[in-house]
Amino acid sequence: MADPKLRFLVVDDFSTMRRIVRNLLKELGYANVDEAEDGAVALQKLNAAPFDFVVTDWNMPNMDGLTLLQTIRRTPQFKHLPVLMITAEAKKENIIAAAQSGASGYIVKPFTAATLAEKLEKIFEKMGRSGAA
Amino acid sequence: MTDFAGMEDLLQDFLTEAGDLLSGVDNKLVDLERSPDDRGLLNDIFRGFHTIKGGAGFLNAGELVTLCHLTENLFDRLRNGELSVTAESMDIILAATAAVRDMFGDLERGVMPHAADEALIASLQGAIQGAAPLLAAAPRPAAATAAPPAGAVAGSPQPTSAGAGPDWQLLMSAVTGALAPSSAAVQAVVPPVEPELAPEKIINAALGRRATDRPGVSGPTGRREPERVRDNSIRVDTARLDQVLNLSGEIGLTKNRLNALRRDILSGRNDTETLHALDLAVSQLDLLVSDLQNAVMKTRMQPIGRLFQKYPRIARDLARNLGKDVELVLAGEDTEIDKTMIEDLSDPIIHLIRNAVDHGVESASDRAAAGKPSKSELRLEARQEGDHIVILVADDGRGMDAERLRAKAVAKGLISEEEASTLDERQSYNLVFLPGFSMAEKVSDVSGRGVGMDVVRTNIQKLNGAIEIRSQPGKGATFVINLPLTLAILPVLLVRLGAQPFAVPLSMVREILPIEPNMVHDVGGRATMVVRGEVLPILTLSGLLGWPQEQVPGYGVLMQTTDMAFVLAIDSFAGREDAVIKSLDDFRPKGVAGVTTLSNGQIVLILDMKELLAEGNATQGIPRSALIPAQGEAVSG
Repeated sequence: MADPKLRFLVVDDFSTMRRIVRNLLKELGYANVDEAEDGAVALQKLNAAPFDFVVTDWNMPNMDGLTLLQTIRRTPQFKHLPVLMITAEAKKENIIAAAQSGASGYIVKPFTAATLAEKLEKIFEKMGRSGAA
Repeated sequence: MTDFAGMEDLLQDFLTEAGDLLSGVDNKLVDLERSPDDRGLLNDIFRGFHTIKGGAGFLNAGELVTLCHLTENLFDRLRNGELSVTAESMDIILAATAAVRDMFGDLERGVMPHAADEALIASLQGAIQGAAPLLAAAPRPAAATAAPPAGAVAGSPQPTSAGAGPDWQLLMSAVTGALAPSSAAVQAVVPPVEPELAPEKIINAALGRRATDRPGVSGPTGRREPERVRDNSIRVDTARLDQVLNLSGEIGLTKNRLNALRRDILSGRNDTETLHALDLAVSQLDLLVSDLQNAVMKTRMQPIGRLFQKYPRIARDLARNLGKDVELVLAGEDTEIDKTMIEDLSDPIIHLIRNAVDHGVESASDRAAAGKPSKSELRLEARQEGDHIVILVADDGRGMDAERLRAKAVAKGLISEEEASTLDERQSYNLVFLPGFSMAEKVSDVSGRGVGMDVVRTNIQKLNGAIEIRSQPGKGATFVINLPLTLAILPVLLVRLGAQPFAVPLSMVREILPIEPNMVHDVGGRATMVVRGEVLPILTLSGLLGWPQEQVPGYGVLMQTTDMAFVLAIDSFAGREDAVIKSLDDFRPKGVAGVTTLSNGQIVLILDMKELLAEGNATQGIPRSALIPAQGEAVSG
């Protein structure tokens, strides 16, 4: 079940979108949410305080979501951090690129709280399994 | 009533942010025309449409999603170098941007956006297909961006190793399967979009204006409209809010201190130490409250750049319509100004830009003849000067011709030949602000909106501001708008009629002078006064208010309205004050803009001079005798 203490970082350059995601997360019982407006800011925040989960947009100025994901995976202290990619694209190339870079999940806009819950659950399940293995 | 029940907050957020985004896109489009191969620009514009699409999806605004999606696809191909920007594709892109703006208009009214023009959609699809014949990455219909069935995407329940590989393969096929393309939708034959837009359309489209937004509908001096339909929210930097919180906390502490001191004093302690502590606490409160006022005011302040950014596109389109090459250069976008004023400034500035493009800037041939560069530069600049904001709209055109303006005004019957001959340059320029004055020999497309410069001036005055014109023949004209920092606080001059105080806006006051009987002259049965060579009528405040005159006025306040200068005769004056205006919403006597409370608790009416003067009989003037004290009575002092 939702662990309300999980700390989320929502990364999107469009504040309306950050708010949407934040509200959906809240609906699911995750109230501990911080925001960043691009990949570069997200990395700063990750370095400054511990987070348990990153939800990031793909297309952003300065540093896009894919680069953020790649950087996270390259950085020893973050590399196990679950990263859920959000984008408006359901393009094959994008999905493969995200998968290859180690995204934990991929969700296409627009989505409902139920879809988000499903994605999160799946990621947690996978993490649990890998943790047990 | 609205299609967005339960989503109002989201909708409002989206409109504010996406509106800014679209204005940014508009400006980048103007830049793109000049450097069509700029990858950075193409990328930024792509991202703009992409972001708007993403937000629109959550609002279920399918038509907006479709339109943004197609435009985004076009930019995707442009930025990847698969297509290049042409005049035709530019027109389509601009039309698409305008259509997006239209849809924002729908959203503002709380209705689902209507479908975009079919011809536009077809043109977009054609442009995407465009020069590149290979259909490998066929544009998917936008419906594809709707959420794929959740089960299909998420459903890969079989346990695998933690490795992502197999999961992703499944996921991918699920996603791509769910989105089986129907590229047949793309039509080969594409009707071109109508690129010729009337200026009215240009402006409306660029602003996303609604029919209810008419210039000149805002309230009278110093009064805020009770509620405007649009955008009553405001985005405030949290640091500023923290400051407000901080200060109110400190004020709370000081209040506690004062309470303690009051107890002490009431119980008989009035030694120097206690009084000194009281003095200290009151001074501190004084300081804190003025800091708090400042901080609260700052929360209302917004950078004027948010307003400015929509103009380059408008200027470009207007100029293009007239076959002129004009670049609007912005400066001082960081200048902060009261949010309510930003909205009310929108129309006046548009009109000034339109005026500059239409009348200020010469035709290409005239410019060549004058040895000027073919591209003319229009400057829109804002800066803070003391407690005022100055906004300049400057062109590098032919400048204004005082002689021609006077002749025009006489020909139109706005002023007499005689009056015309007394006008100096500055006064001649100001003739353009007279209702019914239009400088265009024939009413051109661009200036034929039925809104003249008089409305510009009226609207600026409603903001307690002023506008003036500077001009250099052959070098260009500059319209200078002067505005107070905020409408919430109005500097006023307190004047008295008998014992009754009134407040008049300080912005209209030029000077205060005693009325000496020997300085009062009689011109045609009306009392006048000569001040530094200027003959000014004397109007008594009692006359304007329709009160009986109970004593001979001792002082005159030289007031400057836009139409006239006059001496307002009053009994005495009580100094200046920063009035916090409380509007009288339901009960508003004519000529009263609102009320304010003085430091001594007295309530004072703030006069609306324009309304008072509009009362026909009030401006008739008074006989000189009314200003001559009965024998033996002293006036001065």
